[in-house]
Amino acid sequence: MKSRVLVVDDDTALAEMIGLVLKTEGFDPVFCADGDAAIGIFRSTSPDLVLLDVMLPGKDGTEVCRQIRAESGVPVIMLTAKSDTVDVVQGLESGADDYISKPFKPKELVARIRARLRRTDEPAPERLSIGDLEIDVTGHRVTRSGAAISLTPLEFDLLVALARKPWQVFSREVLLEKVWGYRHAADTRLVNVHVQRLRSKIEHDPEVPEIVLTVRGVGYKAGAATT
Amino acid sequence: MSAGGRPVARSVRRSVRRAAQRVRWSARRVLLAWRTSMQLRVTSTAIGFGLLAVMVLSTYLSGAIRDGLFEQRITQVLTESSRSTAQAQTAFNTTSATTTTGVQQLVNDMVRLLQGGGSSGREIFLWRTDPDSASSVLNSSTAPQLSGLITDTLREQTAQGEEQRWQSVSIPEGTGGTVPGVIVGSKVDVPVAGAYELYFLYSLEAEQETLSFMQRVLAIAGVLLIVFLACSTWVNTRQVVKPVQRAAQVAERLADGHLDERLQAKGQDEIATLARSFNEMAESLQDQIQRLDELSTVQRRFVSDVSHELRTPLTTVRMASEMIYENRDDLDPVLKRSAELLSAQLDRFEDLLADLLEISRFDAGAAVLDAEALDLRDVVSAAIDHATPLAVRKDVWVAAYLADGPVTADFDRRRVERVVRNLLVNAIEYAESGPVEVRVASNATAVAVHVRDYGVGMAKDQVAHVFDRFWRADPARARTSGGTGLGLAISLEDALLHGGWLEAWAQPGLGAAFRLTLPRRAGIVLTSSPIELAAGRAPEDVDVDARRTDESGPASLPDITDLPGEEAVADHPTTVVPARELGDHR
Repeated sequence: MKSRVLVVDDDTALAEMIGLVLKTEGFDPVFCADGDAAIGIFRSTSPDLVLLDVMLPGKDGTEVCRQIRAESGVPVIMLTAKSDTVDVVQGLESGADDYISKPFKPKELVARIRARLRRTDEPAPERLSIGDLEIDVTGHRVTRSGAAISLTPLEFDLLVALARKPWQVFSREVLLEKVWGYRHAADTRLVNVHVQRLRSKIEHDPEVPEIVLTVRGVGYKAGAATT
Repeated sequence: MSAGGRPVARSVRRSVRRAAQRVRWSARRVLLAWRTSMQLRVTSTAIGFGLLAVMVLSTYLSGAIRDGLFEQRITQVLTESSRSTAQAQTAFNTTSATTTTGVQQLVNDMVRLLQGGGSSGREIFLWRTDPDSASSVLNSSTAPQLSGLITDTLREQTAQGEEQRWQSVSIPEGTGGTVPGVIVGSKVDVPVAGAYELYFLYSLEAEQETLSFMQRVLAIAGVLLIVFLACSTWVNTRQVVKPVQRAAQVAERLADGHLDERLQAKGQDEIATLARSFNEMAESLQDQIQRLDELSTVQRRFVSDVSHELRTPLTTVRMASEMIYENRDDLDPVLKRSAELLSAQLDRFEDLLADLLEISRFDAGAAVLDAEALDLRDVVSAAIDHATPLAVRKDVWVAAYLADGPVTADFDRRRVERVVRNLLVNAIEYAESGPVEVRVASNATAVAVHVRDYGVGMAKDQVAHVFDRFWRADPARARTSGGTGLGLAISLEDALLHGGWLEAWAQPGLGAAFRLTLPRRAGIVLTSSPIELAAGRAPEDVDVDARRTDESGPASLPDITDLPGEEAVADHPTTVVPARELGDHR
């Protein structure tokens, strides 16, 4: 089955070119050139992944991303012409899973899309616990004393990666490779921002994390299981 | 000197030295205050002049008062004595006494009478002029113990002349002190007994007291005057110095970049004029700086916008080119080669755009340091891994001398790795198949990485330009090596962003060396680097002392403790010789 990718970009030449590349790679691209129309097309086409330009007429990319996140955990990759920290962090904080800065190579784009669409091959039922959380890996559910916590697939993957090997410290580079699928060292800000987002959902007090702990100078590790 | 005496002498010497030291210190402090405070200087000068004036004035006044008092008293004393002498002479002339006993009685009575007759207490002496006279009438006086005050000279003069004679004397007192006095002498004839001298001794104690009182008053007035003078000078200079101090403060604030700072300009006096001119100057400075700021902001924004606007079409072109390149085997040879060129040059174009954007970010002050505690050896290892394929292609041997212990510091991994990568690639490009050496070391305050090649090197005037944008040592070579010409400029900006150093050394034929030094923590100001610039290996045919690279470094930095890996320098190779010396030996 072909994965459907929604390309939201006002530059028609670039959108068409991306469409060509995606078709060759076996995806089913749909297009939208306007920020205000994006959420409507997202609902009507229900894509498996969204490629979202930051600079759009009408609503800008971060706003569109926020709207999508409000109703869906579908992976969102931002396309940005600005790689300045502030812009990137803003995009990520609005809920994007990844970003790719222009100019990019087609292979790079495809690799990122594949990494986001990759699903764990149906494994044996697996249950993990981290802090006071219960994780049902196969069922993609995280619960705290019976109550479900809603996480995006990326946040879920990040949490699972940490919980599978409690007390192992993961460097940001290793997490990038495990969760985002990057081969080469890339922007570690991705990890920082997503750890913050994850903490805001699962920690009792995000300022004093107990589940995802920072190891200064190295990276992150899971907290002790208390249940 | 005995053995026991030596320690005592030593301790005495020591305390003398310490005292001298203390005197020197306080002298230095006073001197410093004198040099730095105009107020102190002006006030001291005023006090000096005031003291001089008071001294001269009081000396003159006190002299005048003393002379006046004395003159007046003398006149009074002479009048009194002359009247008393005449009264005594009349009494002697009209006496009926004819016997020695009678005369003696008269003389004694007269002396007592005369003593009580004056305006104030006086002592009377009635002495026979001729000591050899046969008369048995004895000398008589009210204070025989003071008779020594009447000198022989005065007696002679009195005996010879008809008028009164006088002389100043010091009258001894019971307490051991003396009071000033005057003795007046004149001749009298005593019946039966013959020629006698009559002396009056007057005390000037009252006058002396008056004089002392006047002097005390003068002294108090003088002190008051000087205190008043000092106060008024202090206040006056303060009125002038205060605005000057304020102006200096504001000027300093302006220099620190607080361009809104202004002086208060009240009134019409010189100080207000100064303040107004100062403010005008600040105003025009602020305008100029703002104009320049706006200008450079516009320019930087333009560069940044152009770079960003270029990115979207570039992405499309890039993807299209890549699609064609992927399928180049289906094309005829001319189109195939074109596709290859297109793809390669797009890479170059992209690199250039990325570097331009990076530079524009530095220029805009928008570069942000993302520092964390890291081991420099890891970053250098990663950079070496990255550069290895190029080294293999160029047939260059890369030797890494990493410190044995950890070389940790707070730095931005992305930036530092970029710098090291850049230095390595440059060194390999210019190594001419010679070796490239990478060293990593640290001291208490800094960590450093040093990249050395033994290639063609550069002339001194070329070294000065290596960090210039788009500057190339050899323009002909640039076209083949394909760098953007911005690499070292960006590296330098990266180093400066960390508060670090990036330095270059080169000599024609001896190769080039680059050293990146980073402070271990933010806020440390670098004073030295753990590796000597242009450090290299010693050739076998030169006999030189083994030399550690780490010789310098601040002796102590109180706020930095328990830093790991201090003085961590690789033990192998042990012989590290600066290339300058190396050149001398060759």
